[in-house]
Amino acid sequence: MSNPSRRDFLARSAAIAGTSAFGMESLLTAQAADDVKPADMTIARWEKPEALTAEQIRSAAVKLTEAAIEGLGGLKRFVSKGDVVWVKANIGWDRSPEQAANTNPDVVATIVRLCFDAGAKTVKVGDNPCDLARNTYQNSGIAAAVAPLGAEVVFLDSRRFRDTDIKGERVKSIPIYPAIIDCDLVINVPIVKHHGLATLTMCMKNYMGVIDNRKSFHQAIPTCLADLTRYMKPRLCVLDAVRTLAAHGPKGGNLADVQVKGTVAAGTDIVALDAWGAELMGKKPAEIGSVAKGHEVGLGTIDYRSLNLKELTVS
Amino acid sequence: MSRRRGIFRATHARRVVQIAFLLLFFGLIVLAGPGVKAESGPLLGAFFLADPLILAATWLAAHAVVSAMLWALVLVAITVLLGRVFCGWACPLGTIHDIAGRFFDGWQRHPKRRDQWSPWQRGKYYLLAGLLVMAAVGCHWVTIMDPLVLLYRTTTTVLSPSAQWAVEEGATAVFEADPGVGAWRLKQVTEPVYEFLGRHVFVVPGQAFLHTGLIVAVFVAIVLLNGYRRRFWCRYLCPLGALLGLLSWRPLLRRAVGQEECNECGLCGMACHGAAAAKPGHEWKSAECFGCLNCTDSCGRDALAFRLVWPWRRKRAGEGIDLSKRATMGAAVGGLVTLAMMRANPLARGLDTETRYNPALLRPPGARPEREFLQRCTACGMCMKVCRTGGLQPALTEAGLEGLWTPRLVPRIGYCDYDCNLCGQICPTEAIQPLAIEEKQQAKIGLASLDVSRCIPYAYGRECMVCEEHCPVPDKAIYFLEVEIRDRNGQAVLLKQPHVDPDLCIGCGVCEHVCVYQDQPAIRVFSTNETRHPRHESVAPADPWDSVY
Repeated sequence: MSNPSRRDFLARSAAIAGTSAFGMESLLTAQAADDVKPADMTIARWEKPEALTAEQIRSAAVKLTEAAIEGLGGLKRFVSKGDVVWVKANIGWDRSPEQAANTNPDVVATIVRLCFDAGAKTVKVGDNPCDLARNTYQNSGIAAAVAPLGAEVVFLDSRRFRDTDIKGERVKSIPIYPAIIDCDLVINVPIVKHHGLATLTMCMKNYMGVIDNRKSFHQAIPTCLADLTRYMKPRLCVLDAVRTLAAHGPKGGNLADVQVKGTVAAGTDIVALDAWGAELMGKKPAEIGSVAKGHEVGLGTIDYRSLNLKELTVS
Repeated sequence: MSRRRGIFRATHARRVVQIAFLLLFFGLIVLAGPGVKAESGPLLGAFFLADPLILAATWLAAHAVVSAMLWALVLVAITVLLGRVFCGWACPLGTIHDIAGRFFDGWQRHPKRRDQWSPWQRGKYYLLAGLLVMAAVGCHWVTIMDPLVLLYRTTTTVLSPSAQWAVEEGATAVFEADPGVGAWRLKQVTEPVYEFLGRHVFVVPGQAFLHTGLIVAVFVAIVLLNGYRRRFWCRYLCPLGALLGLLSWRPLLRRAVGQEECNECGLCGMACHGAAAAKPGHEWKSAECFGCLNCTDSCGRDALAFRLVWPWRRKRAGEGIDLSKRATMGAAVGGLVTLAMMRANPLARGLDTETRYNPALLRPPGARPEREFLQRCTACGMCMKVCRTGGLQPALTEAGLEGLWTPRLVPRIGYCDYDCNLCGQICPTEAIQPLAIEEKQQAKIGLASLDVSRCIPYAYGRECMVCEEHCPVPDKAIYFLEVEIRDRNGQAVLLKQPHVDPDLCIGCGVCEHVCVYQDQPAIRVFSTNETRHPRHESVAPADPWDSVY
């Protein structure tokens, strides 16, 4: 970077100022090593998540996301200048951020901001939700968080899905939203939460929001998710565990089921991230069908520790 | 100066006012979409709140009215003073009749006869009498024939969904065929329009309503009848017109004829929309006059005028409605007989004794107990218009003849959204009571029941659980048990099977809506245990004492 732009300069200064201010020496040293070999996965943990107040959770979510992305070498690694990026958050349910049924709006907004900082021309945010989009977009807090940053909040139109040949092991053809596939990059940003049938819903399951006609997926969810994930060719996933939903998922609603974990992980290996998420929720990764299946068919590794892993503590 | 030759004609002003009211009426329907704020309910129902027929019928049937309905007294006062000007200047259905009437003018074979007063115009008063007697005995049926209700319902359930179909399918066809010239594509025009309409007008995608055949038939028939007599509906049938006619028996504003100027050409009589015997020499009927001013405008000699006549200077000249006592009594008895025949029905009798309920009748949350509900519901369709999922549908026979076109939830089409209470907020007569969202989330409208002969984990030994996933009750009214079953080879298979907790289920129907089957769902909601009927609680709450053992 012989001739850094003003934006780059500011971003770098901010990152350095941030790291020194918050005492993230580990991040700084790791970053130095990054120039040689970038990390495959980072896990950013808040130092004392149990002590976070509701207001502090908001700023913690921003810092955790920034740290996790920075740990991978920043979004410039994934976003080229002029790119169109789709941020595929989980905006499935008509629930508030505190109820932890959707991706944390501050996590989503931070990613949108970092996309623009990295030179993205357009950032779109949208999901094919289970509840009514008009309400999930609003009550999840996501529309209000990303719109002021300049992101396009896209309502998926059920008439604009296109039957797509995905050549899966089980799923041969499925209606996919073309505007998502046409993007230069899809960043998969789910929340970690309980799911009755699948036990947990994380990165692989989040791709169900780019398709339609998905009811019968439940009859063989690991294979269907593996098929879909293979087609989507994930490049970057950010797993939000700032708040997690431990029971009565995926819609939740009972605040007693919500746990503040104060953690955000990011990585390039979707199976590894889901495996880590399973452990975070007290499950063995192999117990989660989609994780086991993903590992088996080579979509990633269930042993996330075997990766070039970076663990950060943020405060 | 002659009005006829002048630039300003009173009928032009009237048409502007009529069109303005018509657009306001349609505008309020468009605004009553699922994005609406609960507080705007009274504004969106303004036409109904100003309607004295709804006020009278609801008061007669339920002996109670919502205080906002007293706005109708304003229209009562206007009518007493000025006559049926509402019919001529404001009624949106009347305006549609006027437009249709112009269109059909050429069909008339006997243009002179059609605008003469006919004794059959008394029919609407008898009809009103019969229907009001029914209301007094507790059947609100008169309001399903209210012109405002009729047009609202027709627009909401037929006209708007048809336009929506054209927009959605048309834009999609253009999008898929992608016609254009060179780099310019037609969809560059159609897509933004389609998107705008989808966001602001046709908010519920693919919205459509069941059983609209009869609604269409009634509307088409009354529009076509303009070809037989102009404003046929208004002259012969309209119960609101009849009520306003009774109120304008002796208005202050009366038509006067200058005997010297009039040459009895009869143009005024031919121009009269209400067949109010406008022609001099006949007795002008104030109760049939819409105050449309066609007669004064048609007069080439300026012989006609509307003048304020003070009550103490009234002429007595036979301007009454002149109803026959015998026919009025007959109408009243007819109303009673009709009601008796409607009630002599097993479901209606079952309602009387609270022992029988139609399983297909799911009422929206907050709906009053069925009898009280029917004493208030006008079947206007506002609740169906605001329903976020489009699940509220007009009943045909499910609620009996008395409940024709009243709202029922059809979960296959749309479920009751857990975080929505708009139908109760917007209902103009509070047939659906306004519930706070927390109350609404507790109000049971039914109970889900599983059909294990179709439910996939039970019937076919495969995973599914889509119903449980969508159950919005925070602690999940649908739960699952993990069981070991055997496949056809005798191999043990672990499987999750859903169950419904009757204590938690509120009957919202999302489970039925999302069930994987596209035809007959394996989980269905019935009105069992609905909050509004305490005696309909067939599945009693769990007894904690049992669980000790």
